Amino acid sequence: MFEFHPHTADIRMRVEAPTLVKIYEAALLGMAEILKEGLCKDESNFDLESTIEIESKDNTCLLIDFLSEVLAHSYAEKAVYCRLEIQELQDNKLKVTLFGKHIDSLDEEIKAVTYHEALLIKNNNDQWETFIIFDI
Amino acid sequence: MKIGKHNLSRKADYLWEIPKTFHKNMRVPARILAKEAILDDIIGDRSLVQLVNVANLPGIQGASWVMPDVHEGYGFPIGGVAATIHPSGAISPGGIGYDINCGVRLLTSAIVLDEVKDKIEELSKEMYAQIPSGMGKGGFLMLSPKEMDEVLEQGAEWAIDQGYGELEDLSFMESNGRLADADASKVSEMAKRRGLDQLGTIGSGNHFVEVDYVEEIYEDEIAEAFNIKKGHLVILIHTGSRGLGHQIATDYIKIMMNAMEKYDIKVPDRELSCVPFDSLEGQNYYKAMCAAANYAWCNRQIITWEARKAWKNVFGDKQGTLDLMYDVAHNMAKIETHEINGIKQKVIVHRKGATRAFGPGFSELPKSYNDLGQPVIIPGSMGTSSYVLIGTSKSHELTFGSCCHGAGRRLSRTAAKKQVNAPVLKEQLKDRGIFVQAGSFKGIAEEAPLAYKDVNLVVDTVCASGIVKKVAKIKPVAVVKG
Repeated sequence: MFEFHPHTADIRMRVEAPTLVKIYEAALLGMAEILKEGLCKDESNFDLESTIEIESKDNTCLLIDFLSEVLAHSYAEKAVYCRLEIQELQDNKLKVTLFGKHIDSLDEEIKAVTYHEALLIKNNNDQWETFIIFDI
Repeated sequence: MKIGKHNLSRKADYLWEIPKTFHKNMRVPARILAKEAILDDIIGDRSLVQLVNVANLPGIQGASWVMPDVHEGYGFPIGGVAATIHPSGAISPGGIGYDINCGVRLLTSAIVLDEVKDKIEELSKEMYAQIPSGMGKGGFLMLSPKEMDEVLEQGAEWAIDQGYGELEDLSFMESNGRLADADASKVSEMAKRRGLDQLGTIGSGNHFVEVDYVEEIYEDEIAEAFNIKKGHLVILIHTGSRGLGHQIATDYIKIMMNAMEKYDIKVPDRELSCVPFDSLEGQNYYKAMCAAANYAWCNRQIITWEARKAWKNVFGDKQGTLDLMYDVAHNMAKIETHEINGIKQKVIVHRKGATRAFGPGFSELPKSYNDLGQPVIIPGSMGTSSYVLIGTSKSHELTFGSCCHGAGRRLSRTAAKKQVNAPVLKEQLKDRGIFVQAGSFKGIAEEAPLAYKDVNLVVDTVCASGIVKKVAKIKPVAVVKG
C-alpha cells in the first residue's frame, strides 16, 4: 500500500506492507504513480526489462537506493517501471529484475529520492512501514 | 524537537536567533533573517528544526542562517547558508541540493512593452516552441561522451565556442560561467548519460522562462549600469543542472553516508551526510559539483540562445539584442574568504536556495558593476513581481555575503492543486496580460501565486537588514513552464 501526504515543496509518500518484498512492490508502484499517473494499472505491454544489483548500508538505505537506481534508469531509458521480480534480498543487498514501459512524457519530474524521514521498521500492526520524501 | 517563537530571541527588527544553548549538539547559534510578519509562516513547518540540525555541522563558523524565503527541505532547509572552515570543515551535498547550480539569469532588451503589447501572446508561443520544457524532455543537442566531458570542464565557455552566444556574455555570469576545479572523471557514467540530451532544456517544477517588463526603478544610476530601463521588456531564465546534477548529488550522498563513520561524523538526518572537505570523498564530490555547476551555466547559456532565436523570430532583426545582465547561482558551495570574529578566514560557503550577494569592489564582477556590487535576481511566482537587487558590504558582515533566492513556498503541491483551478487561473492571468504556456495544467496549479509567500515581504526583509538594496521591480507578461 502506498499513500501520499502533504509536504511544503516536495512529495511525502508512506508505504506499508506485510512483507519486505511487498514493500518494494508498493514503493515502486507509488513512484511510478508520481511519474505517470495510472500507467501501471494496465499490467500488459511491458516493453522493457532491466536487472539491477544494489548494496547499501542497511535495509532503509537499500530501499531508498533501490528507488534512486530505478529513477536513474527511468530517465536514462525514458521509461516507467511498474513490476519487479526479486532474485535476492538481504538486509543490505538486492538483486531485482524490473519490468516497465517506454513513455513519451512524464506527469512529474522527480529530482531525487531522499533519505529524509525514511526508516523502514515494523509498526504496531506487524506491518513494514516507512515514509519516503521525493525531491520535486 | 519543536521550536516555537518562545525559543527565539529578537536581535533586530529583521533578525532572530536560536542560541547555541538550545540543543547540546549545536556548535554555533542559528539565525533567521525575517520580519515578524513572515516568521509565523516559517514556524509553521520544520525549517527551524532543520536549521538547528545544520548548526551541528563539523567546522561550521559564525551561525547557521536562513533567509526570509526559507521553507522545509530534506536535511537542510531551502533558503539556508552554512559556512564551514576551509580545508578541514564539512562539505555536504545536502547543503547544496540535488539541483546543483540551479540559478537565474536576466536578459535586458531595447523593446518597450507598450509598443509590442499585441505581440506578447505570439512571443509566449514562440518561446514555448523554441525552449524545450517539461518532464524528461530532451533538447536539440545530443552530446558525444567527449563533448560531455568538455561541457563539464568548460561550462558556459563551451556554449560560446560552439556559437551559442557572445564572448562578452561570460563576464556577466557568476564565476564567469566556469569553475576551474571541475573534474569530469569524478562524475558517474549514469550522471553523464542523464545529461547527454538535456542541454538547452528547462525541465519542470518551479523552473521557467519568463518575459517581464520593468515596472519600477529604485536606484537610477545602478539600473542604468545594469541596462534596466523602465517599461522595457526583460527575460528571466530559471533552471539548473537537470538530471546530471540530481544524479551527482544522489551518488555522493550515498558515498558520504558510508564514509562518515571513518571520519567519526554523526548527523541527525542522513540528508546532512558530510565529510571533511579535504578528504578524498570531499574532494571528489567538490570536483563533481563544480562539473555540474559548469553544466548548468552551459544549459542556461544555450537556453539564452534559444530565447534570442524566438525573440528574433517575433520581433525581427532591427529591435536590438537581448543582453545578459547577470547570471546567479542559488544552489552551490563556494570557497570564499570572510571575516569571522575579526579574523579573515577561508570558508566553504554552502548556499542552498540562497544567492551570493557580494558588495562593491569584488574583482570577479564585470568592470561596469565593480564599484556598485553584485546583482541579485529574486524571481517571484507567475503573476506576481520579481526583483533585481544589489549586494552591499553589510552582506559580508552578516550573512557570509548571501541573500534570499525567491518568494519561498508556503503551500504544498497537493494543497495548491486542491485550491487552484488551473484553466481558470490561466484565463485570469491572460485577462491581466500574462500569457502562460505550460506543458500541463497540473504544473500551473502547483506553481500558482497562492502557493508562495509574498515576495514583497521577503524582499523588504532583506533590504531592511541592509544586505542588499532594491534596484528594480519587474512583472511578468509571458511565462513558459514545463
